[in-house]
Amino acid sequence: MTPSVQYHCPCLASAPVPPPPHLPSSSYSFHPLHTLFFCEECDAIRCNRCVSVEVSTYYCPNCLFEVPSASVRAEKNRCARNCFMCPNCRNTLTVVASDPPDTGDGRLTVPVSTVGEPPFYLYCNHCRWDSAEVGIVFEKPTGLAAQLQRYEDSAPDSLEFDRLKEHFEPFLRAASLPSSLSSSMAHPGSVVHPSSAAHSHHLHSSSITAAASAALARDIPGVGKYTPSLARSTSARAGRDRSVNKDEMAEYRSRLDITNASVVGGGGGDADVEFIKRVEKISSVASLEQRWGNSWATSLRTRDIRPQRIPLHSKRSKRCPVCTHILIKPEQKAQSVRYKIKLVAANYLPAITVALPHTFPTPETVKRGLGKPASASAANDRSNVALHPGESYSFHLALTNPLYDPIQVRLATPRVHATSSSSGTQEKARRPPFGVSIPTSTFTVAAFAEAWEYDEDEEMYWTDEEEFGGVGSNRGSRNKEGKSKAKAKSVGVLEKRANTTIVGGEVIIGKEARGRLKFIMLVQYTYRSDDPVPSESGEGGGADTKASTNKAPETKTFEFYTVIDLGEIIPTKLDGDPDG
Amino acid sequence: MAPTRDKFTIHSRAVVCQDVELRGDITIGAGTIVHPKATIYAIVGPIVIGSNCIIEESVIIVNRRKEIMRIGDDNLFEIGCRVDSPAVGNFNTVSTRARIHHTVRVSNFCIIGAGCLLAPTEDEVLGDYTMVYGPAAERRKWSGRGRVQEADLRRKHVEYLREMLPKFNRVRRGDGM
Repeated sequence: MTPSVQYHCPCLASAPVPPPPHLPSSSYSFHPLHTLFFCEECDAIRCNRCVSVEVSTYYCPNCLFEVPSASVRAEKNRCARNCFMCPNCRNTLTVVASDPPDTGDGRLTVPVSTVGEPPFYLYCNHCRWDSAEVGIVFEKPTGLAAQLQRYEDSAPDSLEFDRLKEHFEPFLRAASLPSSLSSSMAHPGSVVHPSSAAHSHHLHSSSITAAASAALARDIPGVGKYTPSLARSTSARAGRDRSVNKDEMAEYRSRLDITNASVVGGGGGDADVEFIKRVEKISSVASLEQRWGNSWATSLRTRDIRPQRIPLHSKRSKRCPVCTHILIKPEQKAQSVRYKIKLVAANYLPAITVALPHTFPTPETVKRGLGKPASASAANDRSNVALHPGESYSFHLALTNPLYDPIQVRLATPRVHATSSSSGTQEKARRPPFGVSIPTSTFTVAAFAEAWEYDEDEEMYWTDEEEFGGVGSNRGSRNKEGKSKAKAKSVGVLEKRANTTIVGGEVIIGKEARGRLKFIMLVQYTYRSDDPVPSESGEGGGADTKASTNKAPETKTFEFYTVIDLGEIIPTKLDGDPDG
Repeated sequence: MAPTRDKFTIHSRAVVCQDVELRGDITIGAGTIVHPKATIYAIVGPIVIGSNCIIEESVIIVNRRKEIMRIGDDNLFEIGCRVDSPAVGNFNTVSTRARIHHTVRVSNFCIIGAGCLLAPTEDEVLGDYTMVYGPAAERRKWSGRGRVQEADLRRKHVEYLREMLPKFNRVRRGDGM
């Protein structure tokens, strides 16, 4: 494992302080930077666990056709054009024509045979499955989904489902009018989050679903009674506060009796048992992978599996859970990979990468690989990546500023575990004992500029720290006076280059340390705000933000927690380290 | 054991590029295309390649056995594949970076999928229309439907290469020329 940095999203916690990183449950609160969003309105980090997601388009991943959300349900979430999946290997199938009649000798002249002959079939380029094997051929190579529809519709499960829908339809129509009013009262969430047309069926009142589930929970011969308490209670409630005769409906008679439905196969009945008894080759049983993409239970036999239409994909936009502003919104077109709105955290927070310089063979390579320490150390062999107890190691933190203004950064390692009240002492005993020292004074990370992306030379760039004054300029001059001196010390600012500043830290590992070396680091940075001061009225919403009122009104401070994972502490005995 | 003397017999209608590593006793049939950077080693026994085969870049064909390694007609060896098989029939495709050990004999119309490794410990013959595909080198039988069109396409492929390759590459001639 290479050393890694993850960022804290305070969404799940009640307190703004992150959980101790050595607890397994803490991994839910920490995310890699590239998965995070940043809400400008709330001035807060948002992660995939707290944003609200809505579908902006449905499209077929194969033909990139954008399916209007109204027809998604009618087409059963699959592409209704000419896109099919191989039932054998799930590759995309192509439509091909049949060969011209064979001359018999296997050799043929070069005719216009690529035109092919009318019986068309689906053909897999990967495993050479073809639909003629299961008896599916087409007269014309267009509108295949419609031609295949009859196979799908003739499935007993599909017929049964249609029948069920038919059965419930009068009831749904009768219930939809009076219940729509109460349902909108019962679900305030549906008002807050306007859901798309495809999801509008969720708005139906619980009485309908309760009645449906009651009907579904009715005794089926051969199937154990399924009457969970929840279903019973909701149906009872629905029966109580609705007029009784409305819920009363004719008994549903299934098309097929469940006892002989298994004759068709796939239901796990006697037919399947018989088949499994007689199996000679493992390949004649369709694997689970081949079957579980199907909408209905299908036969176990490999020769019965049918091509499936390709399931649709969706593009989703995400909103901030607090202010419901859009954080990310893809372009509508399926072909486009761009975004209309993209508020990703990588554009707001400094990117931090961590490297252990002792994993590099020479200090020269450290200098060279500074831009991408993580990838460089990944290439290194595993043996010298190990951390041993009783040793002290220096590590490098590279902070890259994505903003167009220089930022002033201050790092801290708060004692998070001390706050966890009751189990604190217990946890402390098990926690790998180590001490971390990082530079605590403020340092500058220069502004991002596109030109630096192309700049290759090693020249140092110096920002106008004087305008920030104070500690920043001090540190800058100290570095300026001697590069060699900066290399000698391990804690402090080591190098500034373009919009990246590298600081060194040191960790001393205790003799009894075991497990992963993880610690929480608080990153606090001050930047010049472009916004006029009044916009900070919405500041109160953010959990761990605060406007810096003590400084000039044009600067803002943002702070966030990260967890630095330096890797596994490996007992010295294994490696035979001399001074273990 | 001393390697056999180099002896290349290349049909006048075959296109063998200059930048090809040949060693040992090798016979290349009419219309066969050998791309540059291919390697054909007849370390012990000779190698006989039939007509209208395509051997693409960085393909390695090795014969480690004493007997003649026979490769039939209309085979396609895609980029970077490795074939040690002592016998290859007709109309086979060995896809990119597939590897076939010397224990496997290939019949006709077989397709070895990209990256598949065929290395059984005991001798084995791949029957006609055997498909090997996927990361686990699964096998199935192809129905053979569409093979006429595929053969037709292969012929066109060969014809195109026969026309275009000599325009951009120096072509090697056999010893007899």
